[in-house]
Amino acid sequence: MAAPLELTCWGGGWGLPSVHSESLVVMAYAKFSGAPLKVNVIDNTWRGSRGDVPILTTEDNIVSQPAKILNFLRKQKYNADYELSAKQGADTLAYIALIEEKLLPAVLHTFWVESDNYFTVTKPWFASRIPFPLSLILPGRMSKGALNRILLTRGEPPLYHLREVEAQIYRDAKECLNLLSNRLGTSQFFFGDTPSTLDAYVFGFLAPLYKVRFPKVQLQKHLKQLSNLCRFCDDILNSYFRLSLGDG
Amino acid sequence: MSLVAEAFVSQIAAAEPWPENATLYQQLKGEQILLSDNAASLAVQAFLQMCNLPIKVVCRANAEYMSPSGKVPFIHVGNQVVSELGPIVQFVKAKGHSLSDGLDEVQKAEMKAYMELVNNMLLTAELYLQWCDETTVGEITHARYGSPYPWPLNHILAYQKQWEVKRKMKAIGWGNKTLDQVLEDVDQCCQALSQRLGTQPYFFNKQPTELDALVFGHLYTILTTQLTNDELSEKVKNYSNLLAFCRRIEQHYFEDRGKGSSSIRSS
Repeated sequence: MAAPLELTCWGGGWGLPSVHSESLVVMAYAKFSGAPLKVNVIDNTWRGSRGDVPILTTEDNIVSQPAKILNFLRKQKYNADYELSAKQGADTLAYIALIEEKLLPAVLHTFWVESDNYFTVTKPWFASRIPFPLSLILPGRMSKGALNRILLTRGEPPLYHLREVEAQIYRDAKECLNLLSNRLGTSQFFFGDTPSTLDAYVFGFLAPLYKVRFPKVQLQKHLKQLSNLCRFCDDILNSYFRLSLGDG
Repeated sequence: MSLVAEAFVSQIAAAEPWPENATLYQQLKGEQILLSDNAASLAVQAFLQMCNLPIKVVCRANAEYMSPSGKVPFIHVGNQVVSELGPIVQFVKAKGHSLSDGLDEVQKAEMKAYMELVNNMLLTAELYLQWCDETTVGEITHARYGSPYPWPLNHILAYQKQWEVKRKMKAIGWGNKTLDQVLEDVDQCCQALSQRLGTQPYFFNKQPTELDALVFGHLYTILTTQLTNDELSEKVKNYSNLLAFCRRIEQHYFEDRGKGSSSIRSS
């Protein structure tokens, strides 16, 4: 258990420890469960891998994908959910599914597909952190992957047209945000006073949407109207990430 | 459908009451329909039974192509055609029937979240098993999917559909999963459903909602469909309250109305 846990992930900006949702989920969970993580931010040297980020490395294991990483941390006794009842554990799975089905397509669209956002914000940010000449290829590939995922899961065969699904995915995302806001109500975290896996997931997906400055901001505007979700993100940033931000 | 068109359709839907000759279309029951489509169709039938709305089930080989969204089942009511459980629930609500009106905001959020869980895990696992597991594909799926069509159309359609599903699996990150991992996800999902159901008769205590219809559709189909092995249904059978739940809905909404289909074997 004393083996150092190293997390490779995308770096931060706009007040966030990371702008990549999945990396943020893992970082938040590690803070909540007290796991000592050494964070290696991807930069534009050739050190480290870039695919399938976030990646957790220990002495004998390499684990990728947030769900698997969280499972691994739980097995290492870093468990943020031990106070939850069985029903709350079930609710966690259900809400995570809701976020992945309803919110994720619109977040992907805002970051990677919406051309104003992609070309002015996302692409330059990621390209500056990837070594040349990979920086010419990788952001484009990530963008295409995001578009693919949106069309395959939400588009209807055989047309696969983006315009038809755009309105629908934003509508679903706004509804999902409303549902999350209703569920959170006035509590500090989703299940009482201590943060759990669900809080990590919600924070991971909402914080970049909340903080990153985009030209086209319809979803962000909707989020800012839900003050309890904004307060939720700010609270976590202030309590768990303030000290580490000072280290850059 | 654009937002304006949808609002227009709701207006029209609200104007007329539910007709007697409403029909539900699905693929051929005996030879063609697959596990995931059967589950979706059963969920819609259960939902309409719970709302007390009469519906006739019609089986057509080309149901998938008739559907406006390409997915089965779809219902033909008056002069409108609506497909998939979500839009059908909205459509029925516009006509004034709803199962979830009595829920408060937090419960509605929970209901939607659990419905997404079923779609995310159970439905995806069913699709994986049907189209990405080589044994099942070879022995069951290919033969069934193309059965109403002559050679070589049956092979072409089956391969095309398989390619489509595999693309989707890859996009959502299930492309590299092994069958065991998928079965474990199914187990996790059933565990969550079982814990949420607890000892209650339905998910939101006394009255069934669309969530109960959806869960029933999937679990009942998994339990009663003959696949190459029993691993999938074994995962569900581990949870006795889910079995009791399925039996209860079957007895209450299907057998009582004289529509007994193959009932659940208890083993």
